[in-house]
Amino acid sequence: MKQTKSSIPPVGQWAAPVVLGWLLPGGGHFYLRKWNRGALLLGAIAGMFVFGLLMRGRMFEPISGDLFTTVVNWGGYIGDVATGALYFLASWLGYEQPQLASAVADYGTKFLVCAGLLNILAVIDAYEIAVGEKP
Amino acid sequence: MYLNLSHLQAALLFALFTSIVLGVIGRNTDRERMQYGLYVFGYFMLAVVGLGWLMYFGHG
Repeated sequence: MKQTKSSIPPVGQWAAPVVLGWLLPGGGHFYLRKWNRGALLLGAIAGMFVFGLLMRGRMFEPISGDLFTTVVNWGGYIGDVATGALYFLASWLGYEQPQLASAVADYGTKFLVCAGLLNILAVIDAYEIAVGEKP
Repeated sequence: MYLNLSHLQAALLFALFTSIVLGVIGRNTDRERMQYGLYVFGYFMLAVVGLGWLMYFGHG
């Protein structure tokens, strides 16, 4: 029986677009000269992040506790960090929100996390373009 | 500055940004991307309005 061996493309082929895509939403597409797609991704992801800040969304911290607390806080933290430079810039400039009893602030928190999750999808897309799986 | 959006406004913005990203990464040609983005946005809106009415009638 013939065994198929999955081969991972060389790191040098995809590392730069993946890292750039994480640091700046759409950055991987810009590196691959997909200007229009990069601009749309940057506008949409940065727009969602900025609206999240304007709605006073809360940034998650990697807090551990019971299973629910750990999953929510670590999951949210990973989502926040996935926005790359946007997250680091906001943190560096001192953005900090306590947990507010407000529906709008809660929407803002979701906007911040979802911006990161959308950026993860954009990074995967940049990877697929870099290794030739997508045009 | 603080944005005090209604639930509908927040849902519209969320649908707009998400459908742009899904449209861009979800298909292989510009025409397909545009169609898919509009398709996703339309379904987001349908879900928002449909679930809104469902909750309205569910409350009795």
